[in-house]
Amino acid sequence: MFAIASAQRGCMKLFAAAALVTPLGLLAQAPESAPPTDIVIKNATVMTVTHGTIEHGSVWLHNGKIAGAGASVDAPAGATVVDATGKYVTPGIIDPHSHSALGNDVNEATSPVTPSMMMIDAFDNSDKALYQALAGGVTTELLLHGSANMIGGQAVVIKNKFGFSRDAMLFPNAPRSIKFASGENPKRVYGRRNELPSTRMGNFEVMRQAFEDAKAYMATWDAYNAKIAKGDKEAVAPKKDLKLEALADVLRGKLYVQIHCYRADEFLTEEAIAKEYGYKVRAFHHALEMYKVGDKIAPTGTGIATFADWWGFKDEAWDAIPWNAVMSMREGVRVALKSDSNDYVRRLNQEAGKMVHYGGATEEEALQMITLNAAWIIGVDDRVGSIDTGKDGDIVVWNTDPLSTYARVEKVYIDGDLFFDSSLSGLGTTHFHGVMHQAGFEGADDEDGDGQ
Amino acid sequence: MRQGFMFAGLLFSCLPLAGTCAAQVGPNDTVLSPAKTIAIVGGKLLTVTHGTIENGVVVMSAGKIVAVGPAASTKVPGDAQVFDAKGMTVYPGLFDAETHLGLTEVGSDQNSNDLAEPSDEIMPHMHVADAFHAETVRIPVARLNGITNAIVAPASQDSIAGQDASIQLYGRDRDAMLLGRDVALAMNFEGSVRRKANYDGPAKFPTTRMGLATQIRQAFLDAQAYEAEMQAPAKPDHKGPERKRDLKLEALLPYLKGEKPVVLSAYESYEVEVAMGIAKEFHLKVILNHVTHAQDILDEIASYHVPVIVGPIYDAPSPDERYDAVYSMPAELQKRGVKIAFSSLGGSGDVRNLPYAAGYAVAYGLPYDEALKAITLNPAEMFGLGDSLGSLDVGKTANVVVASGDPLDVRTSVKQVFIDGQAIPMVSRQTQLRDQYMPLTKKN
Repeated sequence: MFAIASAQRGCMKLFAAAALVTPLGLLAQAPESAPPTDIVIKNATVMTVTHGTIEHGSVWLHNGKIAGAGASVDAPAGATVVDATGKYVTPGIIDPHSHSALGNDVNEATSPVTPSMMMIDAFDNSDKALYQALAGGVTTELLLHGSANMIGGQAVVIKNKFGFSRDAMLFPNAPRSIKFASGENPKRVYGRRNELPSTRMGNFEVMRQAFEDAKAYMATWDAYNAKIAKGDKEAVAPKKDLKLEALADVLRGKLYVQIHCYRADEFLTEEAIAKEYGYKVRAFHHALEMYKVGDKIAPTGTGIATFADWWGFKDEAWDAIPWNAVMSMREGVRVALKSDSNDYVRRLNQEAGKMVHYGGATEEEALQMITLNAAWIIGVDDRVGSIDTGKDGDIVVWNTDPLSTYARVEKVYIDGDLFFDSSLSGLGTTHFHGVMHQAGFEGADDEDGDGQ
Repeated sequence: MRQGFMFAGLLFSCLPLAGTCAAQVGPNDTVLSPAKTIAIVGGKLLTVTHGTIENGVVVMSAGKIVAVGPAASTKVPGDAQVFDAKGMTVYPGLFDAETHLGLTEVGSDQNSNDLAEPSDEIMPHMHVADAFHAETVRIPVARLNGITNAIVAPASQDSIAGQDASIQLYGRDRDAMLLGRDVALAMNFEGSVRRKANYDGPAKFPTTRMGLATQIRQAFLDAQAYEAEMQAPAKPDHKGPERKRDLKLEALLPYLKGEKPVVLSAYESYEVEVAMGIAKEFHLKVILNHVTHAQDILDEIASYHVPVIVGPIYDAPSPDERYDAVYSMPAELQKRGVKIAFSSLGGSGDVRNLPYAAGYAVAYGLPYDEALKAITLNPAEMFGLGDSLGSLDVGKTANVVVASGDPLDVRTSVKQVFIDGQAIPMVSRQTQLRDQYMPLTKKN
């Protein structure tokens, strides 16, 4: 999305993609044999994220969950032992902002309000971006609608069990999230068609109007339900409207609101609208100017999913500074890093490493930004994001300190099952043996997808 | 517990150099009386040409390196300002082999972009030096991470997009920062150059690689004919005006004579082979660029005996390739004796991240010393600047970086950059914004 050259190559790939699509029936799915009941990864430097780093530590996985971590663990004698002497172990990396594996269907850019779009309907579980992310240690991703619309579609949360079926890759019982966006992208997409919204005034008025519509819809249903409650047999049910139902779910607090926006004034406007209509913002995404107003956003409890050091690719990214994440954290905001890119998702660990450089984050704070805090934004921090007993067995083994430039992923376990092992020849995948798809899409918010 | 916030810039900028403290005003060089002699003392020197020196000394005077060696045997002149680099790492300024510095400001704002002239395909007479915006906000951001020199190239939108410039990332103005105009020809043989129909308009020639190839050949043939015509003696009875210069064809002549390199971009194996065929036909002096998906012809590439700007190694492998197919390209080429350099283009295109690409190549097999060379001496040599840049050697331009540790590691902070022997202000628009809002982080 920055370099002209890479944008053009994206176009080229788009042409190539059509030829690479394989009929689903030809995809060889490996027989899914059960993983060992007990696995012990021993003699590693274990970075727990919540309670420090354990030198020469062990992690015990039992039935897909973390059963213990420490200088020693009480695993049964029959456990499969993985000697990780000299290696580092972290929880799986979590990307709270991705558009991978959604084909070219990221943006339904035909209306600025499309809350009934379900990203799961576009999820392609054999996209090569998932494989490349897995090889970068990414075990959980929030796959979001693009940012063409003020109110986009509903996200899907996946576990990166590459090689498994679509259903088996869904994160079980993850909270529902919806993507909002404001600023230059909706302005550009609709403005160039001379449609509303072509300004930020238009942006926010479109949102208010949508919520007024939703309130009226809810009132219609409330009236109907009241009649039914009174035993009115003649009452006629209003028509179900998927779009208004989704908006109503926002107002009912049933959806986590994930907002793409960059500027300080927009965070304040978005919070004001949320307050006016009575919903909570879960996180601002990109949020490159949070350092300017972090002290005001922190009390709202809204988190951010930001870039480590991206800047200057458009006007609203002009005041971006690489100290944003750490400064916002010091101001009390919960901070995660994210990729918004099929490229950067492969090395979020290095992006976290930059936080040591830009602002002096501790290694644990830096690692939290790509694990536990990212999990919180998705709403799954009680299940993943740290090495704690009872959490899912999502574990990455690295050759060296994951926050260094030299870190390579060696093994990735998800729910206690080995999905990637760099020592294997070929792709290094244990469950995928088919043909990968290529979306022809770089995976960034700014791309319009088919909505152009 | 609240962690203290590290001021990488402020902490060091005023400490050791009383004489340059007054210079810490803004990103541009407005210093009227720079320090004469500066000695960087006590650091670990990564010389690039003669190994690592623990506890070394670098003395800089009148813009040049005048002494390099172990502290025990290297004299610090009495009048030198001393920069205490104890516990730090000292290395030559980094050299980015391909950037758009000074040709773009805000990516999405066309008014701030002078990246390429897409009106025609054959544009050798586009001199990026004519568009180079020395006061760009992007240069101070890049040099604060130790990048002191770069090639400025047009975007790869044309098969011959124009001529590159070489720059120094600090100076009084455009003239001081341009080391060389027209140092190389930017030539692209890749699918994205084709004029397929798109949002900007209908398809036009060339829409195929056949079209690209024939167009490039014709351009060089025209230039050869032009030169012959211009050199032919005028007929004795010639009256009228002198023959008119053709700026476009004239621009190709130094490259036809092999006086300067052609930076030849290609991604796929067959593109590399076709492009090298054309280069051979016209005896061009080639620097190959990208070769990202040419894993199957690495031996052939080595046999060309030309240097290669690799990657960007962040380009994604094809769906049938292993995840590390591109990450390991630099190592595979270097192993075959190819001289390699890195550029920051691709990925986020952020020049300050140049050293991390080199570091990542080390993770995938490139020897450390070769990685450092590939962002210092190698690119300097490729573009004819090996005598003055790229290593800590006496007589070279005093572009020197002092950092908290390993330059290739993302966790390392650059503490001070010297360009032309001057301690540059460790200030950019970004540090100014940081410092303006920093008080908020102290709130309880």
